[in-house]
Amino acid sequence: MNTLYYAPGACSLGIHVLLEEIGAPYEAKAVNLREGAQFKPEFTAVNPKSKVPTLVRQDGTSLTEFPAIAYWLAATNPQAKLLPEGTEALARAMEVTDYAVATVHMQGFSRIFRPMNFAPGEADHEAVKARGTEIFTKGLKTLDAALEGRDFFAGSYSFADMAPFYVSFWGAERLKMELPGRLAAHYAAMRARPAVRRVMEREGL
Amino acid sequence: MKLFYSPGACSLGIHVILEEIGKPFETQLVSTRDGANRQPDFLAINPKAKIPALLRDDGTVLTEWPIIAWWLAKSNPMSNLIPVEFEAETRCLEWMDYLCGTVHPQGFTRMFRPANFAKDAEDEARVKAQGKALAQGYLDLIESRWKGGTWLLPTGYSIADAALFFVCEWAVGDRAQMELPPRLKAHRKAMRDRPAVERALKKEGLS
Repeated sequence: MNTLYYAPGACSLGIHVLLEEIGAPYEAKAVNLREGAQFKPEFTAVNPKSKVPTLVRQDGTSLTEFPAIAYWLAATNPQAKLLPEGTEALARAMEVTDYAVATVHMQGFSRIFRPMNFAPGEADHEAVKARGTEIFTKGLKTLDAALEGRDFFAGSYSFADMAPFYVSFWGAERLKMELPGRLAAHYAAMRARPAVRRVMEREGL
Repeated sequence: MKLFYSPGACSLGIHVILEEIGKPFETQLVSTRDGANRQPDFLAINPKAKIPALLRDDGTVLTEWPIIAWWLAKSNPMSNLIPVEFEAETRCLEWMDYLCGTVHPQGFTRMFRPANFAKDAEDEARVKAQGKALAQGYLDLIESRWKGGTWLLPTGYSIADAALFFVCEWAVGDRAQMELPPRLKAHRKAMRDRPAVERALKKEGLS
């Protein structure tokens, strides 16, 4: 059985949804980021990078990095049909995942939510947040454009929908932003999925 | 096939991969220092304003370092640049994500572009120092988690080595002036001994 280490409402939400969609039994363990549990020895033994999501697999090894976890889960559970077929479709699925995680989340949202990680001086925090909002807003537009002519990021529903979903969740719920049209429709379709509902409830969202 | 790159930027790693594959390709310089990546003609190629971007033979553009690398390796299987076995491929992706998603943008970008993080000169110095401390921690983590021999993966040379290479080049360069831990130091030397790496460095005017 796989064990997911997650924090409620964090980016691990996307992996949590993916596990729920796959439907095989798994365990979900909450890591309290506010209390710094990710820096405690019990967690750094699992992931020395001190980050969620972390997936401990059946063989006891840990897998880190959202895009790698998403790809691995989709590929090792072919019955769930969450892995786009063919190199080109797969490349596009990974491209959108990487962009949502490494740019929209880590460059955009992180500036808004954790400005102290970017600027040591309190006086700079407003400027850091403004820059974060700019990157995040542009990111949502880019994701919206990727949905042109399709309901899901890889055409049909796949692991590629997970990272855009959690950044949309942050935009809509945390920042109270209006999502661009196609992305808003994608977000609504995601929220309507039973697997997503179950995960939102479990994470207390 | 055409690679849009800026000399010595992270695109160097993709440049190395293209040289390793050995098929003809073109390069186009987009100087991020001069802001050429924000000009309309490049935005038409990649609206994200980032390099590397790869214009493929069918006219479509692929972005994001790990994905360009993955796609190049997958579509050129004879070059043996990505592990065939799935678990090893997953580890390859995991390392590339860490190098390109954390080590580069969270560590080195703070050192090289402190103005993206702070607004006045005094803060910039602090951001640079923070970037250096973070980068050191990331490099130490890579060193301590090393499972390969000469190369990052135990399965042998791969696209993940090209990602580690650009990071190590930055670390020892004038802007960061860091000391590499022993395995990373040996890795950089082994990379620089490869003819493909030599060609890429020369073409970017770095050798």
